[in-house]
Amino acid sequence: MREQAALKDLAGGIAVLAIAGAYYWAIGDIADSTLSDDVGATGLPRILAYVLAGFGLILTARAVMAGALSPAAGPAPSAPAPAEDDDHVSPVPRALGFLAFGVAYVVLVPIIGYLPSIALLIGSVALYEGAPRNWKTLVIAIGGATAFWGIFVKILGVHQPSGWFF
Amino acid sequence: MHSLGIAFDLLFGSPIIFYSIIGLTWGIVGGSLPGISASITMALLLPFTYGMAPVQAIVMLACTYIGAEYGGSIPAILIRTPGTNSAAATVIDGYEMKKQGRAGEALGISLWSGVIGSLFGLVMLIVMTEPLSWVALAFKPTSYFALGILGLSVIASMTNGSLLKGLAAAVVGLMISTIGTDPISGVTRFTFGSPELLGGVEPVLIMIGVFAVSELMMQSGSKGLGSIGEQVRVRLPSLSMMNKLKRSQFIGCILGTFEGLTPGGGGSIAAFLSYNEAKRWSKEPEKFGKGSEEGVAAPETANNTVASAALIPLLSFGIPSSNSTAVLLGGLLIHGLLPGPRLFEQNADVVIGLYVGSFIATLAQIVVGILLLPICVWLVNRPRAYLAGFILALILSGIFTLNTSISDLGIALGMGLVGYMMRRAGYPFLPLILGVVLGHMVESSYRRSLLLSGGEYSIFLEDPIAIGLLLASAVFVTLSLVREFRDARNAKLKDAHA
Repeated sequence: MREQAALKDLAGGIAVLAIAGAYYWAIGDIADSTLSDDVGATGLPRILAYVLAGFGLILTARAVMAGALSPAAGPAPSAPAPAEDDDHVSPVPRALGFLAFGVAYVVLVPIIGYLPSIALLIGSVALYEGAPRNWKTLVIAIGGATAFWGIFVKILGVHQPSGWFF
Repeated sequence: MHSLGIAFDLLFGSPIIFYSIIGLTWGIVGGSLPGISASITMALLLPFTYGMAPVQAIVMLACTYIGAEYGGSIPAILIRTPGTNSAAATVIDGYEMKKQGRAGEALGISLWSGVIGSLFGLVMLIVMTEPLSWVALAFKPTSYFALGILGLSVIASMTNGSLLKGLAAAVVGLMISTIGTDPISGVTRFTFGSPELLGGVEPVLIMIGVFAVSELMMQSGSKGLGSIGEQVRVRLPSLSMMNKLKRSQFIGCILGTFEGLTPGGGGSIAAFLSYNEAKRWSKEPEKFGKGSEEGVAAPETANNTVASAALIPLLSFGIPSSNSTAVLLGGLLIHGLLPGPRLFEQNADVVIGLYVGSFIATLAQIVVGILLLPICVWLVNRPRAYLAGFILALILSGIFTLNTSISDLGIALGMGLVGYMMRRAGYPFLPLILGVVLGHMVESSYRRSLLLSGGEYSIFLEDPIAIGLLLASAVFVTLSLVREFRDARNAKLKDAHA
């Protein structure tokens, strides 16, 4: 258990190091300016990159010392899943799947417009989260989208993206 | 006298009552939905406040906070699931009372105690904030830099989890704040040629992504909650019951104020501390855990006191002590309002409006809380699958209203992913938010200090306030490291004995 946590910490430490590295690399793209002060536009970013890299190194080293690289830290041996878990999806893919609906909305909304996109979003997320595939879900998605459109566009007068249809 | 005049003008000559009630209503409804914390409820509202006058926006956000603290107790009492983290302590006796057929009484005690707590916190807010803010007048750029460092290090060391993870999150937040056009030299930084990033990344997008989107991702696939089958009506406590609750409410008020002033304290700690102390000082400690009225009153008073008291460090120094006050700070910054003494001088209407609005919301809580209960019960009973769809739709629709920019949606979803990964890896995200919010203050005061000294770093050691604040940061970090080291050693010893 402790080794599993250490493995997670190791991944976190490496991610922190990667962020520090990528940020430091991007500092090179910042142009010089004659208006700049002594510290300059790159002054604080450089310090931040060094500090974050330091934290990343300590976090990584601490995870290694806690046994992240020991054999016990590897994936736990597979145990037979209980019957009710047959359709179980691990949390990470499930969460990423949820996020994918948001991404699909961002892609679709400029093409098909707000009203159909929001109806698709409500309906598909509800189905993904376990709503029954019946007329009720369809009605809720269309009714919900109409309510959102009415509130945002008609009542609040807030512009929403328009596409082919709306 | 002048302040009273502004208060009367706001009360009778502006729609402040309307915005208080709307904020309160939104807070109670949002807080009553399990998994939607006070900060998420406020973050969801933030995009809608863009087009409002500053006073209306801030009043609405603050009243949402007040409402969410009561709203959280509804599912805590009825289905043993706290709507907000700070209502977790209310579950213990609130649900026991519900099992005994006294749900209405428990809700009435929660509501009444919330009003007492909010009123006490509000008095503390009015009495303490302005005098404290005048201290900030003595601040130089070096002091502001040190204050920013203190805020970040205190939050990093007080939040759950490892100090190093908290500090790393704070640095990432500061890094995000450097995206956009450098305010001194005018050069662009980390925009990668994207015109949408020239103005930087708006804190509201990060807050919505990290608080709300990541929470929906965490909850994805979770089973629905139990439903509330019975009809419930709020029963306010009788005079004799009010008298009985006085001691536990007093404890809640004191501890709530203390925790509200403490960075990282928050409503949950205040609620549990108050519960324990109320039990210790109660005449009937044996009833705690078995449906004690005082066991509901103490935590509910405490978390409502925190909602007002947490505004004291925010308005005085611009240091938010919790997620919810970080969102409120985001609201202030959106409207170009900087906390501190100048806020009281230049935007007295906002500060007084905040007091007046909070007062209205606190009193209106009794009526609105009773009227909204059936709606909250109906919402809690809705299948989680539909709620998730509606909340994501609300988030994406709301974000688009900020700048009518599709790229804002992408940023918020991207920050949702970052928040989800941080949660999975045990990284606290309040330091990240605080880094983004305080980033501008930290960088500009750092550079202004060095500009004044001609690049000499010794300027930070010539300002006694800066020295004091930096020493305080060092003390917090050291104490946190010692605590972490001790915990790790104890865990090792425990493992060795097992």
